[in-house]
Amino acid sequence: MTATIQWIALCICALGAAVRVPGVRNGQGRTVFTALVLLTVAVGLSIVPIYEAVDGVLGGVNIANLLLRLTLYAVFVLLGVRTAAAFGSSLARRLVVGPFGLAILGLTVAATLYFFVASELPGTSTGLHAFGDQDTVQQYAAVGRLYPGYVAGCLVIPAVASVADRRARTAHRVACAFLACGFSLVVVFVLLRLTPLDLGAWDIVLPFSAIMSNVVGLFLVWLSHTLNRRRNQRANKLA
Amino acid sequence: MAVTAKAFQLWRSQIAPHDNVSDVCRVAGIKRSTLAQQLVRGKVSVTTVVAIARGYGVPPVQALAVFEGYEDLPGGIRQPTDAELVSQVSHIDILRLLIARSEDRGSTATDLELSLAPLPHRNSVRAWVEAVDPGDLRQQLAASTGVARQNLSAQLTAGRLAPEIAVQAARIANVSLASGLVVTGLLTPEEGGWPEDGRARALCAMPDLDLVFLARDRLDVLGKQIRRAELDDGKDRAMWENLG
Repeated sequence: MTATIQWIALCICALGAAVRVPGVRNGQGRTVFTALVLLTVAVGLSIVPIYEAVDGVLGGVNIANLLLRLTLYAVFVLLGVRTAAAFGSSLARRLVVGPFGLAILGLTVAATLYFFVASELPGTSTGLHAFGDQDTVQQYAAVGRLYPGYVAGCLVIPAVASVADRRARTAHRVACAFLACGFSLVVVFVLLRLTPLDLGAWDIVLPFSAIMSNVVGLFLVWLSHTLNRRRNQRANKLA
Repeated sequence: MAVTAKAFQLWRSQIAPHDNVSDVCRVAGIKRSTLAQQLVRGKVSVTTVVAIARGYGVPPVQALAVFEGYEDLPGGIRQPTDAELVSQVSHIDILRLLIARSEDRGSTATDLELSLAPLPHRNSVRAWVEAVDPGDLRQQLAASTGVARQNLSAQLTAGRLAPEIAVQAARIANVSLASGLVVTGLLTPEEGGWPEDGRARALCAMPDLDLVFLARDRLDVLGKQIRRAELDDGKDRAMWENLG
C-alpha cells in the first residue's frame, strides 16, 4: 500500500517534469523544472529497490540518503522562492531566501552533514531504518524534516490567501488550493513527528500526498499558462 | 432569475397549444437540451420565455406578465427618463459628441446623426443603476429581494442583473419597469417601450458643461476598471512566470 503510493508519486513527479521539457528548451520555467526533476530524484531515492541500487553504486554507505536530504532542501528552496513570488508575498520570499532563511538553510545543511558523519552507517538501509536506534540518526532525520516544514510553513498563509482571492482565475485558485493543501500536509506531518505518536502508514501517506498535491498544483498553473499562450490573447483593454 | 416550470408549461400550452417542446424550441431558436434541463430543474429562465414569446410573435412584456413577480410589468411601462437614456450611451459616443462640439462641428441638428452604438454598452447595467438611484437603491434592493449586497455588487461588476432584481430596482426607483430589462439586454429597446432616437435626443440636449462632466465620470469609471484589470493581469503573470 505505502509502496504503491510512493510509485504513484514518482510517476506524477516525473510526468510533471516531463510536460515542461518543451518549455524549458525555449528557456521558460527552468527553476520549477529543476525543482521537479530534483523532486523526482528525491522520491525515487525513498523507494527501496531504487535506493538499494543507487546506494550500491555509491559504495553502500548510505551516501544516497545524504543525497536525498540535500536534494529535498534544494527542492524546497527553489519552490519556496518561486511560489512566494507567484503569490506576491515578499515576506515569505524573505523568510525563505532572505538573510534569515539562508542562515537557517546553512545551519540545516551543516547539521545534516555533521549528524551524517557522526552516525555509524555500515550497509545500505532505505531511510536509515536499520540504524533508527542511534541518537545521531534520529537527529539527522529530525533536521531533515524541520527545514521543509519551515519553508512550507512560510508558504501556507500566502497560498491560502491566493485561494481566497475571489478576483483570481478559477484555475489559479484551484492550483493554489492544491499547493496550500500540499504545504499544510508538510506542516502537519512535521508537527506530528515532533509528538511521540506512532504514525504507522501515515508516516508515508502524509509526505507523499503533500508531494503529489504540490505537483498537481504546479501542473495546473503550467496548463493554464500553456492554454493561455496558445490563445495568445494580448487583450486590448480599451476595445 | 427564473419562472417555475409549472407556470411555464401552462403558459406554453396557451400560446402554442398544438406544439410540443421540440417545436417550441425550433420556433424560438433555442437548444432543446437547454429547455429540457431547465424543465427538469423546475425553473425556466426568463431568457427562454422571452425567446419563445418572440418566436410566436407575442410581445415579451405581455408574456412575462403571466408569471409571478412580473404581473405589473405591462402597466408599469413609461417613457424612460433622460438620465436613463443618457446612461445607455457608450463613453465612446459621448466622447465623439464632445469632440464634435469642441471642434464646433456639432450643432444640435447634426448630433442626431451620431449613429450611436446599439445597446447595451460595457457598463450599461451599472450606469443605469447609478442613473436611477434615488440614493439608497442598493440597500432597498438588497432588503426587498433578499439578495446580499455583495452579490448585487458582484452582478453589477460583471455587467449583469437578474431580471426580477432589475424589475424590482425599477419599482424602487419609480421608473419604467421594463428599463432594467432593456439595459441588461433581455428586451430590445423597442420591446421595452424606449423611443427610437431617444438616446441621441437626450444626449444632444445636454448642455456643454454637463456633457464634459458626464465624459469625465465615464472615463473615471473606465480608468478604475482598467486599473483593476491590469492588477489582475499582473497576478496572472506572476503566477505564470514563476510557476508556469
